[in-house]
Amino acid sequence: MTLVPVTYKGGIYQHDIIIDLIEDLGGYIVQKHIIAAEVVLQCFVPKDDIEQIRRIAKPLFGEVTDSPLVGTEIAIVSMSLEIHHLPHPSCDIAEYVRRIGAKSNMVSLARGPGKRIAGLNDEERDVINEHDIAVYLLGNFETCIEYKIPTLRRGIEVPIILCGGPDEATLRRITNPPVEGYVGNVGRFMRRTKESDQLEKLDEIVAEITRVVEKKRDDIAKDPLSVSPARLMDLIREKVPDINEVTSPTPLTVQMRGLRVKLPYDRYAAPLRAIEIEDGITIGDISEVVPSRMRDYILVKILPFSETNTVI
Amino acid sequence: MAALEYFEVECPEPLGAEYYRQITNDVLLDHNLLKVIEKLHIYIDPKVPLFVAVGTLRKITTIVRVRDFANVNPLEGKITLVISNETYLAPMLKLFWERFGKEHVEQPDRFTVMLYDVRTAPAEIEDLVVADPSESLFKDLIYAFRCIAPEGFRLRSEKFSKEKFSFVASENTLSEDIDSLVATKFALIGVKP
Repeated sequence: MTLVPVTYKGGIYQHDIIIDLIEDLGGYIVQKHIIAAEVVLQCFVPKDDIEQIRRIAKPLFGEVTDSPLVGTEIAIVSMSLEIHHLPHPSCDIAEYVRRIGAKSNMVSLARGPGKRIAGLNDEERDVINEHDIAVYLLGNFETCIEYKIPTLRRGIEVPIILCGGPDEATLRRITNPPVEGYVGNVGRFMRRTKESDQLEKLDEIVAEITRVVEKKRDDIAKDPLSVSPARLMDLIREKVPDINEVTSPTPLTVQMRGLRVKLPYDRYAAPLRAIEIEDGITIGDISEVVPSRMRDYILVKILPFSETNTVI
Repeated sequence: MAALEYFEVECPEPLGAEYYRQITNDVLLDHNLLKVIEKLHIYIDPKVPLFVAVGTLRKITTIVRVRDFANVNPLEGKITLVISNETYLAPMLKLFWERFGKEHVEQPDRFTVMLYDVRTAPAEIEDLVVADPSESLFKDLIYAFRCIAPEGFRLRSEKFSKEKFSFVASENTLSEDIDSLVATKFALIGVKP
Protein backbone atom coordinates (compact mmCIF):
# COMPACT_ATOMS: atom_id res chain seq x y z
CA MET A 1 0.00 0.00 0.00
CA THR A 2 1.57 3.29 -1.05
CA LEU A 3 0.60 6.34 0.93
CA VAL A 4 0.51 9.65 -0.91
CA PRO A 5 0.46 13.12 0.67
CA VAL A 6 -2.73 15.09 0.04
CA THR A 7 -4.57 18.08 1.44
CA TYR A 8 -8.29 17.96 2.15
CA LYS A 9 -10.15 21.26 2.31
CA GLY A 10 -13.78 21.43 3.23
CA GLY A 11 -16.46 22.72 5.54
CA ILE A 12 -16.47 21.95 9.22
CA TYR A 13 -19.90 20.28 8.92
CA GLN A 14 -19.52 16.49 9.09
CA HIS A 15 -15.75 16.66 8.58
CA ASP A 16 -15.39 13.87 11.15
CA ILE A 17 -16.79 11.54 8.48
CA ILE A 18 -13.72 12.29 6.36
CA ILE A 19 -11.36 11.88 9.32
CA ASP A 20 -12.91 8.47 10.14
CA LEU A 21 -12.76 7.47 6.48
CA ILE A 22 -9.06 8.35 6.16
CA GLU A 23 -8.25 6.45 9.33
CA ASP A 24 -10.34 3.44 8.28
CA LEU A 25 -8.59 3.31 4.93
CA GLY A 26 -5.24 3.15 6.72
CA GLY A 27 -4.23 6.75 6.16
CA TYR A 28 -2.81 9.21 8.67
CA ILE A 29 -3.69 12.79 9.48
CA VAL A 30 -0.52 14.81 9.91
CA GLN A 31 -2.02 18.20 10.64
CA LYS A 32 -5.52 19.48 11.18
CA HIS A 33 -6.38 23.15 11.03
CA ILE A 34 -9.79 24.59 11.73
CA ILE A 35 -10.02 28.11 10.35
CA ALA A 36 -13.44 29.69 10.95
CA ALA A 37 -15.86 27.29 9.28
CA GLU A 38 -13.22 25.59 7.15
CA VAL A 39 -11.17 22.49 7.87
CA VAL A 40 -7.80 21.79 6.30
CA LEU A 41 -6.41 18.29 6.76
CA GLN A 42 -2.92 17.43 5.68
CA CYS A 43 -2.75 13.70 5.44
CA PHE A 44 -1.27 10.58 3.95
CA VAL A 45 -3.83 8.38 2.21
CA PRO A 46 -3.56 5.14 0.21
CA LYS A 47 -3.05 5.99 -3.46
CA ASP A 48 -5.88 3.74 -4.71
CA ASP A 49 -8.45 5.25 -2.36
CA ILE A 50 -8.14 8.92 -3.30
CA GLU A 51 -11.07 8.63 -5.72
CA GLN A 52 -13.23 7.13 -3.01
CA ILE A 53 -12.42 9.97 -0.61
CA ARG A 54 -13.25 12.46 -3.39
CA ARG A 55 -16.58 10.72 -3.99
CA ILE A 56 -17.55 10.76 -0.32
CA ALA A 57 -16.32 14.34 0.14
CA LYS A 58 -18.31 15.63 -2.82
CA PRO A 59 -21.67 16.13 -1.05
CA LEU A 60 -19.76 17.97 1.70
CA PHE A 61 -18.08 20.26 -0.88
CA GLY A 62 -14.71 18.92 0.16
CA GLU A 63 -11.69 19.12 -2.11
CA VAL A 64 -8.76 16.72 -2.25
CA THR A 65 -5.57 18.06 -3.78
CA ASP A 66 -2.08 16.64 -4.13
CA SER A 67 0.44 18.34 -1.92
CA PRO A 68 3.82 16.72 -2.21
CA LEU A 69 5.31 18.66 0.68
CA VAL A 70 3.04 17.23 3.39
CA GLY A 71 5.15 15.37 5.94
CA THR A 72 8.33 17.33 5.31
CA GLU A 73 10.12 19.76 7.58
CA ILE A 74 11.98 22.46 5.69
CA ALA A 75 14.58 24.89 7.03
CA ILE A 76 14.38 28.35 5.51
CA VAL A 77 17.86 29.66 6.21
CA SER A 78 17.87 33.42 6.45
CA MET A 79 21.15 35.27 6.84
CA SER A 80 19.98 37.30 9.84
CA LEU A 81 16.99 38.56 11.75
CA GLU A 82 17.51 42.18 10.70
CA ILE A 83 15.07 44.34 8.76
CA HIS A 84 17.26 43.70 5.68
CA HIS A 85 15.90 40.16 5.27
CA LEU A 86 12.68 40.15 7.24
CA PRO A 87 9.80 40.12 6.60
CA HIS A 88 10.67 40.12 2.91
CA PRO A 89 11.78 37.83 1.42
CA SER A 90 12.39 35.29 4.22
CA CYS A 91 8.92 35.27 5.77
CA ASP A 92 7.20 35.43 2.37
CA ILE A 93 8.92 32.25 1.25
CA ALA A 94 8.50 30.44 4.59
CA GLU A 95 4.79 31.28 4.56
CA TYR A 96 4.32 30.24 0.94
CA VAL A 97 5.75 26.75 1.42
CA ARG A 98 3.59 26.37 4.51
CA ARG A 99 0.49 26.87 2.38
CA ILE A 100 1.21 23.78 0.34
CA GLY A 101 1.66 21.52 3.31
CA ALA A 102 5.30 21.72 4.37
CA LYS A 103 6.25 22.50 7.95
CA SER A 104 8.77 25.28 7.51
CA ASN A 105 11.07 26.60 10.20
CA MET A 106 13.08 29.76 9.81
CA VAL A 107 16.70 29.33 10.78
CA SER A 108 18.42 32.64 11.13
CA LEU A 109 22.19 32.72 11.38
CA ALA A 110 23.99 34.65 14.08
CA ARG A 111 26.73 35.77 11.70
CA GLY A 112 25.20 35.16 8.29
CA PRO A 113 25.46 38.54 6.56
CA GLY A 114 28.48 40.03 4.83
CA LYS A 115 31.15 38.50 2.66
CA ARG A 116 34.34 37.75 4.62
CA ILE A 117 32.63 37.86 8.02
CA ALA A 118 29.88 35.33 7.21
CA GLY A 119 29.96 32.16 9.28
CA LEU A 120 27.97 29.18 10.49
CA ASN A 121 28.31 27.84 14.04
CA ASP A 122 27.86 24.26 15.23
CA GLU A 123 24.40 24.80 16.69
CA GLU A 124 23.10 26.30 13.44
CA ARG A 125 24.67 23.47 11.46
CA ASP A 126 23.06 20.80 13.68
CA VAL A 127 19.66 22.50 13.61
CA ILE A 128 19.73 22.71 9.80
CA ASN A 129 20.79 19.05 9.61
CA GLU A 130 17.70 18.06 11.61
CA HIS A 131 15.47 19.15 8.71
CA ASP A 132 14.65 17.36 5.47
CA ILE A 133 15.98 20.08 3.19
CA ALA A 134 17.44 23.56 3.63
CA VAL A 135 16.51 26.57 1.50
CA TYR A 136 19.32 29.14 1.58
CA LEU A 137 18.25 32.70 0.90
CA LEU A 138 21.29 34.70 -0.13
CA GLY A 139 21.89 38.21 -1.37
CA ASN A 140 22.21 40.00 -4.67
CA PHE A 141 25.91 39.88 -5.48
CA GLU A 142 27.58 37.03 -7.30
CA THR A 143 30.97 37.87 -5.75
CA CYS A 144 29.66 37.61 -2.20
CA ILE A 145 27.70 34.39 -2.78
CA GLU A 146 30.72 32.75 -4.39
CA TYR A 147 32.87 33.77 -1.43
CA LYS A 148 30.56 32.77 1.41
CA ILE A 149 28.70 29.67 0.20
CA PRO A 150 31.58 27.22 0.99
CA THR A 151 31.51 28.48 4.61
CA LEU A 152 27.74 28.35 4.90
CA ARG A 153 27.40 24.80 3.56
CA ARG A 154 30.24 23.29 5.60
CA GLY A 155 28.95 20.23 7.46
CA ILE A 156 25.43 20.44 6.01
CA GLU A 157 24.28 16.95 5.05
CA VAL A 158 20.73 17.69 3.92
CA PRO A 159 19.96 18.78 0.32
CA ILE A 160 20.38 22.52 -0.17
CA ILE A 161 18.33 24.76 -2.44
CA LEU A 162 20.16 27.97 -3.20
CA CYS A 163 18.21 31.16 -3.87
CA GLY A 164 20.11 34.27 -4.86
CA GLY A 165 20.03 37.45 -6.87
CA PRO A 166 22.13 36.31 -9.87
CA ASP A 167 20.44 34.16 -12.51
CA GLU A 168 20.37 30.39 -12.24
CA ALA A 169 23.24 29.76 -14.67
CA THR A 170 25.52 32.06 -12.66
CA LEU A 171 24.56 30.39 -9.39
CA ARG A 172 25.41 27.01 -10.90
CA ARG A 173 28.75 28.33 -12.13
CA ILE A 174 29.84 29.72 -8.77
CA THR A 175 28.97 26.73 -6.58
CA ASN A 176 31.39 23.85 -6.63
CA PRO A 177 30.45 21.09 -5.89
CA PRO A 178 26.90 21.87 -7.02
CA VAL A 179 24.02 21.95 -4.54
CA GLU A 180 20.76 20.07 -5.16
CA GLY A 181 18.58 22.93 -6.32
CA TYR A 182 18.87 26.49 -7.66
CA VAL A 183 16.46 29.37 -7.99
CA GLY A 184 17.90 32.51 -9.56
CA ASN A 185 16.74 36.13 -9.53
CA VAL A 186 15.42 36.02 -6.01
CA GLY A 187 17.87 37.83 -3.73
CA ARG A 188 17.26 40.50 -1.14
CA PHE A 189 14.30 42.75 -1.81
CA MET A 190 12.28 45.03 0.44
CA ARG A 191 8.72 44.83 -0.81
CA ARG A 192 5.89 42.42 -0.26
CA THR A 193 5.49 39.66 -2.84
CA LYS A 194 2.03 40.28 -4.21
CA GLU A 195 2.46 41.04 -7.93
CA SER A 196 1.92 38.14 -10.29
CA ASP A 197 5.56 37.96 -11.42
CA GLN A 198 6.72 37.80 -7.80
CA LEU A 199 4.20 35.06 -7.04
CA GLU A 200 5.48 33.15 -10.07
CA LYS A 201 8.94 33.34 -8.53
CA LEU A 202 7.57 31.84 -5.29
CA ASP A 203 5.93 29.10 -7.34
CA GLU A 204 9.29 28.45 -8.95
CA ILE A 205 10.89 28.03 -5.52
CA VAL A 206 8.10 25.64 -4.50
CA ALA A 207 8.56 23.65 -7.73
CA GLU A 208 12.28 23.34 -7.05
CA ILE A 209 11.65 22.26 -3.43
CA THR A 210 9.12 19.69 -4.67
CA ARG A 211 11.61 18.33 -7.21
CA VAL A 212 14.31 17.90 -4.55
CA VAL A 213 11.81 16.35 -2.09
CA GLU A 214 10.60 13.86 -4.72
CA LYS A 215 14.20 12.91 -5.45
CA LYS A 216 14.82 12.33 -1.75
CA ARG A 217 11.61 10.25 -1.51
CA ASP A 218 12.87 8.08 -4.38
CA ASP A 219 16.16 7.59 -2.57
CA ILE A 220 14.35 6.57 0.60
CA ALA A 221 12.15 4.15 -1.40
CA LYS A 222 15.26 2.24 -2.47
CA ASP A 223 15.95 1.35 1.17
CA PRO A 224 12.57 1.77 2.87
CA LEU A 225 12.20 2.88 6.46
CA SER A 226 11.37 0.25 9.07
CA VAL A 227 8.14 2.07 9.91
CA SER A 228 6.32 5.00 8.36
CA PRO A 229 6.86 8.26 10.32
CA ALA A 230 3.12 9.00 10.10
CA ARG A 231 2.29 5.67 11.73
CA LEU A 232 4.76 6.37 14.52
CA MET A 233 3.11 9.74 15.01
CA ASP A 234 -0.31 8.12 15.47
CA LEU A 235 1.14 5.60 17.89
CA ILE A 236 2.92 8.22 20.04
CA ARG A 237 -0.24 10.32 20.13
CA GLU A 238 -2.11 7.29 21.45
CA LYS A 239 0.49 6.00 23.93
CA VAL A 240 1.90 9.27 25.30
CA PRO A 241 -1.16 11.31 26.29
CA ASP A 242 1.05 14.18 27.56
CA ILE A 243 1.65 15.17 23.94
CA ASN A 244 -1.88 16.55 23.84
CA GLU A 245 -0.96 19.08 26.52
CA VAL A 246 1.81 20.61 24.39
CA THR A 247 0.80 24.01 23.05
CA SER A 248 3.05 24.04 19.93
CA PRO A 249 1.11 24.12 16.65
CA THR A 250 2.57 20.73 15.69
CA PRO A 251 3.54 18.81 18.86
CA LEU A 252 4.57 15.91 16.65
CA THR A 253 6.29 17.07 13.48
CA VAL A 254 6.51 14.46 10.76
CA GLN A 255 9.67 14.43 8.69
CA MET A 256 10.65 12.26 5.78
CA ARG A 257 12.92 10.00 7.84
CA GLY A 258 11.58 10.46 11.34
CA LEU A 259 9.77 12.85 13.55
CA ARG A 260 10.30 15.57 16.10
CA VAL A 261 8.53 15.05 19.42
CA LYS A 262 8.11 18.30 21.30
CA LEU A 263 8.49 16.87 24.79
CA PRO A 264 11.51 17.19 27.12
CA TYR A 265 14.14 14.58 26.30
CA ASP A 266 15.15 13.83 29.89
CA ARG A 267 11.75 12.69 31.06
CA TYR A 268 10.24 11.21 27.92
CA ALA A 269 13.05 9.57 25.94
CA ALA A 270 13.09 6.30 27.93
CA PRO A 271 9.31 5.72 27.90
CA LEU A 272 9.26 6.63 24.20
CA ARG A 273 11.88 4.01 23.37
CA ALA A 274 9.89 1.37 25.26
CA ILE A 275 6.64 1.86 23.33
CA GLU A 276 5.71 -1.34 21.53
CA ILE A 277 4.70 -0.96 17.90
CA GLU A 278 3.78 -4.53 17.01
CA ASP A 279 4.82 -8.10 17.93
CA GLY A 280 7.16 -6.97 20.70
CA ILE A 281 9.12 -4.56 18.47
CA THR A 282 9.63 -1.27 20.26
CA ILE A 283 10.38 2.20 18.94
CA GLY A 284 13.89 1.89 20.40
CA ASP A 285 14.52 -1.22 18.26
CA ILE A 286 13.88 0.38 14.93
CA SER A 287 14.91 3.97 15.52
CA GLU A 288 17.39 6.22 17.25
CA VAL A 289 15.82 8.45 19.87
CA VAL A 290 18.20 11.38 20.28
CA PRO A 291 18.03 14.84 21.85
CA SER A 292 17.29 17.58 19.36
CA ARG A 293 19.35 20.77 19.19
CA MET A 294 16.08 22.63 19.00
CA ARG A 295 15.11 23.45 22.63
CA ASP A 296 14.90 20.22 24.67
CA TYR A 297 12.88 18.30 22.11
CA ILE A 298 13.29 14.67 21.11
CA LEU A 299 14.27 13.64 17.60
CA VAL A 300 13.26 10.15 16.45
CA LYS A 301 15.38 8.98 13.52
CA ILE A 302 13.83 5.90 11.94
CA LEU A 303 16.37 3.36 10.74
CA PRO A 304 16.08 1.86 7.24
CA PHE A 305 15.29 -1.77 6.47
CA SER A 306 18.94 -2.56 5.69
CA GLU A 307 19.91 -1.84 9.30
CA THR A 308 17.04 -3.38 11.25
CA ASN A 309 15.85 -6.11 8.85
CA THR A 310 12.25 -5.38 9.81
CA VAL A 311 9.46 -3.47 8.15
CA ILE A 312 6.24 -3.00 10.06
CA MET B 1 11.36 57.77 -8.80
CA ALA B 2 9.96 60.96 -10.27
CA ALA B 3 10.84 63.07 -7.24
CA LEU B 4 14.60 62.62 -7.60
CA GLU B 5 16.44 64.81 -10.05
CA TYR B 6 19.28 62.35 -10.45
CA PHE B 7 19.47 58.73 -9.33
CA GLU B 8 22.14 56.25 -10.35
CA VAL B 9 23.41 52.97 -8.93
CA GLU B 10 26.91 52.12 -10.09
CA CYS B 11 28.16 48.56 -9.66
CA PRO B 12 30.44 46.15 -11.56
CA GLU B 13 27.56 43.62 -11.52
CA PRO B 14 24.72 45.05 -13.64
CA LEU B 15 22.09 42.72 -12.15
CA GLY B 16 23.14 43.61 -8.61
CA ALA B 17 22.90 47.31 -9.50
CA GLU B 18 19.35 46.80 -10.75
CA TYR B 19 18.31 45.05 -7.50
CA TYR B 20 19.85 47.78 -5.38
CA ARG B 21 18.07 50.43 -7.43
CA GLN B 22 14.83 48.68 -6.54
CA ILE B 23 15.74 48.32 -2.86
CA THR B 24 16.72 52.00 -2.61
CA ASN B 25 13.49 53.06 -4.25
CA ASP B 26 11.39 50.88 -1.91
CA VAL B 27 13.17 51.98 1.26
CA LEU B 28 13.08 55.70 0.46
CA LEU B 29 9.44 55.42 -0.50
CA ASP B 30 8.60 53.55 2.73
CA HIS B 31 10.37 56.13 4.87
CA ASN B 32 8.86 59.08 3.00
CA LEU B 33 12.28 60.44 2.08
CA LEU B 34 11.89 60.85 -1.67
CA LYS B 35 10.82 64.46 -1.21
CA VAL B 36 13.90 65.25 0.84
CA ILE B 37 16.63 63.94 -1.45
CA GLU B 38 17.44 65.88 -4.60
CA LYS B 39 20.25 63.87 -6.17
CA LEU B 40 21.54 60.45 -5.21
CA HIS B 41 24.46 58.42 -6.48
CA ILE B 42 25.17 54.97 -5.08
CA TYR B 43 28.36 53.08 -5.78
CA ILE B 44 28.76 49.45 -4.71
CA ASP B 45 31.82 47.30 -5.22
CA PRO B 46 31.24 43.79 -3.82
CA LYS B 47 34.86 42.86 -4.47
CA VAL B 48 36.36 45.29 -1.91
CA PRO B 49 33.57 45.26 -0.47
CA LEU B 50 32.33 48.84 -0.30
CA PHE B 51 29.04 50.74 -0.34
CA VAL B 52 29.05 54.48 -1.00
CA ALA B 53 26.01 56.73 -1.19
CA VAL B 54 26.37 60.44 -1.89
CA GLY B 55 23.61 62.95 -2.46
CA THR B 56 22.23 66.40 -2.04
CA LEU B 57 19.25 67.44 0.03
CA ARG B 58 16.37 69.76 -0.75
CA LYS B 59 15.52 72.62 1.54
CA ILE B 60 12.46 71.65 3.48
CA THR B 61 10.47 73.98 5.65
CA THR B 62 7.57 71.80 6.58
CA ILE B 63 6.69 72.79 10.09
CA VAL B 64 3.45 71.07 11.05
CA ARG B 65 0.86 73.35 12.60
CA VAL B 66 -2.52 72.51 14.10
CA ARG B 67 -4.39 73.89 11.06
CA ASP B 68 -2.59 71.44 8.76
CA PHE B 69 -4.50 68.47 10.11
CA ALA B 70 -7.41 69.81 12.19
CA ASN B 71 -10.44 72.06 11.86
CA VAL B 72 -10.90 74.44 14.79
CA ASN B 73 -14.55 75.30 15.54
CA PRO B 74 -15.32 77.62 18.46
CA LEU B 75 -18.81 77.10 19.92
CA GLU B 76 -20.38 78.41 23.13
CA GLY B 77 -17.32 78.59 25.37
CA LYS B 78 -15.70 75.45 24.04
CA ILE B 79 -13.51 74.80 21.04
CA THR B 80 -13.96 71.62 19.02
CA LEU B 81 -11.11 70.29 16.89
CA VAL B 82 -11.93 67.81 14.15
CA ILE B 83 -8.84 65.83 13.27
CA SER B 84 -8.32 64.64 9.71
CA ASN B 85 -4.93 62.95 10.17
CA GLU B 86 -3.94 61.15 13.35
CA THR B 87 -0.16 61.23 12.77
CA TYR B 88 0.45 64.27 14.96
CA LEU B 89 -2.40 63.75 17.41
CA ALA B 90 -0.18 62.62 20.29
CA PRO B 91 2.27 65.57 20.15
CA MET B 92 -0.70 67.94 19.79
CA LEU B 93 -2.42 66.58 22.91
CA LYS B 94 0.83 66.83 24.83
CA LEU B 95 1.16 70.45 23.78
CA PHE B 96 -2.42 71.22 24.83
CA TRP B 97 -1.96 69.55 28.22
CA GLU B 98 1.12 71.62 28.92
CA ARG B 99 -0.46 74.84 27.77
CA PHE B 100 -4.05 74.60 28.98
CA GLY B 101 -3.91 71.85 31.61
CA LYS B 102 -5.41 68.38 31.42
CA GLU B 103 -8.74 69.40 32.95
CA HIS B 104 -9.44 71.69 29.96
CA VAL B 105 -8.69 69.12 27.26
CA GLU B 106 -10.97 66.24 26.44
CA GLN B 107 -10.91 63.65 23.65
CA PRO B 108 -14.34 62.02 23.29
CA ASP B 109 -13.30 59.93 20.28
CA ARG B 110 -10.39 59.30 17.92
CA PHE B 111 -11.06 62.23 15.64
CA THR B 112 -12.36 64.86 18.05
CA VAL B 113 -10.61 66.96 20.67
CA MET B 114 -12.50 69.51 22.83
CA LEU B 115 -11.02 72.44 24.70
CA TYR B 116 -13.08 73.92 27.57
CA ASP B 117 -12.70 77.38 29.09
CA VAL B 118 -9.72 78.31 26.98
CA ARG B 119 -9.06 82.01 26.51
CA THR B 120 -6.76 81.68 23.51
CA ALA B 121 -8.22 82.80 20.18
CA PRO B 122 -9.06 80.00 17.72
CA ALA B 123 -6.75 81.55 15.10
CA GLU B 124 -3.90 81.39 17.56
CA ILE B 125 -4.60 77.71 18.26
CA GLU B 126 -4.54 77.02 14.53
CA ASP B 127 -1.06 78.51 14.33
CA LEU B 128 0.47 76.41 17.13
CA VAL B 129 3.50 74.46 15.96
CA VAL B 130 3.03 70.76 16.72
CA ALA B 131 6.09 69.14 15.18
CA ASP B 132 9.14 69.80 13.07
CA PRO B 133 9.93 66.74 10.95
CA SER B 134 13.33 68.13 9.95
CA GLU B 135 14.54 67.56 13.52
CA SER B 136 14.61 63.82 13.01
CA LEU B 137 15.56 64.03 9.35
CA PHE B 138 19.19 62.97 9.70
CA LYS B 139 18.22 60.12 12.00
CA ASP B 140 15.69 58.92 9.42
CA LEU B 141 18.17 59.26 6.57
CA ILE B 142 20.89 57.30 8.37
CA TYR B 143 18.38 54.60 9.28
CA ALA B 144 17.17 54.38 5.68
CA PHE B 145 20.72 54.04 4.33
CA ARG B 146 21.52 51.39 6.92
CA CYS B 147 18.55 49.46 5.50
CA ILE B 148 19.70 49.96 1.93
CA ALA B 149 23.36 49.05 2.46
CA PRO B 150 24.17 45.32 2.56
CA GLU B 151 23.77 44.15 6.13
CA GLY B 152 27.25 42.84 6.76
CA PHE B 153 28.76 46.26 6.05
CA ARG B 154 28.98 47.42 9.63
CA LEU B 155 31.93 49.81 9.53
CA ARG B 156 30.41 53.10 8.54
CA SER B 157 31.38 56.68 8.01
CA GLU B 158 28.49 59.11 7.72
CA LYS B 159 28.65 62.82 6.96
CA PHE B 160 25.38 64.69 6.90
CA SER B 161 25.00 68.44 6.51
CA LYS B 162 22.09 70.66 5.52
CA GLU B 163 22.91 70.53 1.81
CA LYS B 164 24.66 67.24 1.14
CA PHE B 165 25.47 63.89 2.69
CA SER B 166 27.76 60.95 2.22
CA PHE B 167 27.37 57.45 3.63
CA VAL B 168 30.19 54.93 3.32
CA ALA B 169 29.99 51.37 4.64
CA SER B 170 32.16 48.29 4.43
CA GLU B 171 32.85 45.14 6.39
CA ASN B 172 36.60 45.86 6.35
CA THR B 173 38.41 48.87 7.74
CA LEU B 174 37.78 51.81 5.43
CA SER B 175 40.89 52.73 3.45
CA GLU B 176 42.50 56.12 3.96
CA ASP B 177 41.81 57.36 0.45
CA ILE B 178 38.07 56.91 0.93
CA ASP B 179 37.54 60.69 1.00
CA SER B 180 38.93 61.08 -2.51
CA LEU B 181 36.58 58.33 -3.75
CA VAL B 182 33.66 60.10 -2.11
CA ALA B 183 34.80 63.35 -3.76
CA THR B 184 34.82 61.72 -7.23
CA LYS B 185 31.30 60.43 -6.63
CA PHE B 186 30.21 63.90 -5.51
CA ALA B 187 31.69 65.26 -8.74
CA LEU B 188 29.35 62.99 -10.69
CA ILE B 189 26.34 64.75 -9.25
CA GLY B 190 27.94 68.15 -9.72
CA VAL B 191 28.94 68.93 -6.15
CA LYS B 192 32.36 70.39 -5.38
CA PRO B 193 33.88 69.52 -2.00
